[in-house]
Amino acid sequence: MTRKLLRNIGVPVLSLLLLLALWQAIVVGFNVAPYVAPRPWQAILSVTQNWSTIWPLALGTIRETVYGFLIGAFLGVFLGVVMAKIPVLQRSVYPVLVLSQAVPIIALASPLVLILGFSIMPKIVIVAWIVFFPVTVNVVDGLSHVDPDLINLARVYGAPRWRTFVHIEMPATTTPLFSGLKIGATYAVTGAVIGELAASEGSSLALYQEHANSNLNAAAVYGTTMVMTAIGISWFLLVVATEVAATPWQRRSVARRYPWRRARFETDGAASIVSSLSKGES
Amino acid sequence: MENTLLELRGVTKRFGEATALAETSLSIHEGSFVAIVGPSGCGKSTLFNVIAGLLAPDGGEVRLQGEPVTGATGHVGYMLQKDLLVPWRTVEDNITMAARLTRRVNNVDRAEARRVATEYGLGDFLRHYPRALSGGMRQRVAFMRTLVTHQPLLLLDEPFGALDAQTRLDMQQWLLQVWRDTGRTVLFITHDVDESLFLSDRVLVMSPRPGRVVADITNPLARPRDMETLTDPAFIELKSRIMHLLHGGAS
Ligand SMILES: Nc1ncnc2c1ncn2[C@@H]1O[C@H](COP(=O)(O)OP(=O)(O)O)[C@@H](O)[C@H]1O
Ligand SMILES: [Mg+2]
Repeated sequence: MTRKLLRNIGVPVLSLLLLLALWQAIVVGFNVAPYVAPRPWQAILSVTQNWSTIWPLALGTIRETVYGFLIGAFLGVFLGVVMAKIPVLQRSVYPVLVLSQAVPIIALASPLVLILGFSIMPKIVIVAWIVFFPVTVNVVDGLSHVDPDLINLARVYGAPRWRTFVHIEMPATTTPLFSGLKIGATYAVTGAVIGELAASEGSSLALYQEHANSNLNAAAVYGTTMVMTAIGISWFLLVVATEVAATPWQRRSVARRYPWRRARFETDGAASIVSSLSKGES
Repeated sequence: MENTLLELRGVTKRFGEATALAETSLSIHEGSFVAIVGPSGCGKSTLFNVIAGLLAPDGGEVRLQGEPVTGATGHVGYMLQKDLLVPWRTVEDNITMAARLTRRVNNVDRAEARRVATEYGLGDFLRHYPRALSGGMRQRVAFMRTLVTHQPLLLLDEPFGALDAQTRLDMQQWLLQVWRDTGRTVLFITHDVDESLFLSDRVLVMSPRPGRVVADITNPLARPRDMETLTDPAFIELKSRIMHLLHGGAS
């Protein structure tokens, strides 16, 4: 257990520290001026010293990321299911969705701010816009690759289509679904930041960075980038944790004993005794 | 024992130009164990798919207990060489899959799944996921899933085809025990002549292009059967007869 924990957490942390060390080595080794690129500790210090300013801004970015991601994820699943089930829609809607992703998101941000104003709305829309696509693509793919024999088996039982969908097709699509969600999670923060940049008014993490940049405060610029990255990584890890919790069968050999099922398994003990007795007689 | 459970009248099935199943008529007695042998591509699975209602025949009729069921589903137990266990469900929950797919699973279903699993040697694996099971165990779970549907007719399409020889022999004896205990009617596809003779009361030999039943052989070998059966002169004789039918030796 501790060894596994060490490997799963220790190794990533170690590679992160190595990255910071590399940064330090380059900046010192090439004697880079502090206003061009700060030392790592200067960037970190600029964040901790201005934490009371940065935290509310970061909270705003987190909110945009999370809301946008959730809306994008649900929209993505919905579109994926609908397109996989209705071939006409797949042929007609799919190209439009691809088109939506071909539009440079930056070119889309300003008009969205114009339409939706300087609120959280345009940011949420941009995040959802980015997130839904990998989810949809993976869900469509997953649903169209469910083993046809499994679906035939359900038909043999006389299963109605919606039950086949709920108990066979959807669970069989969990792995591609989470692949889509993980890709979406990594891009979500980028979407939020682009939205924040496009809204030139109000206070946000992206505008805080812009401000620091125009003041030649490289430490704050790099520090803010670190905060944005941390939000992205945390969200990604949360999605991974959700996947791990939702798919115990991919790692465990034996199912956990759920409290609401305990009664059932205790009666099982008695049943096996009875049955072994009756077998002994014959 | 002489009641007819399943009856096929003039059933045919084509795929485009190819006739997968030429006009076939059959009648299967309740409680019997009928093996179907034939080279691959001779329409054995097609025959099962028509009986199960997965395929609508181009002509003819399927009757179960006197009722026409042509093209309808939900009236047989069907098991394939692929176990088709879902990896996200435990053994117990895989066994109750048919119930889950047609209505709410209740405690009676769960109790029965546990009873059957315990009785046939998987009682310690109820909470295991399929990934933790061997090939033979997986096939047994798949068979129990088929059994608890309570369908009188079980269609087994090469269920042991992917198992190694030793496991296969164990599974054959296990299947005979379950069959004797439960009194179901079994249609069993195999391309292994030994297996067909070891298990069945009756062997249907099929031949391709077009797919059809070319011989209907009563298997008189005494039960219970064991290793001795495989060297019985009557067994050898039946085997060579079926081999001739399968490999074109004029008989
Ligand atoms: N869905 C299908 N579409 C077209 N041809 C099929 C289909 N299913 C089976 N066939 C053809 O019908 C013939 C019989 O197939 P099958 O019943 O699977 O044979 P067996 O189970 O005896 O190996 C084969 O030639 C096969 O290629
Ligand atoms: Mg076949």
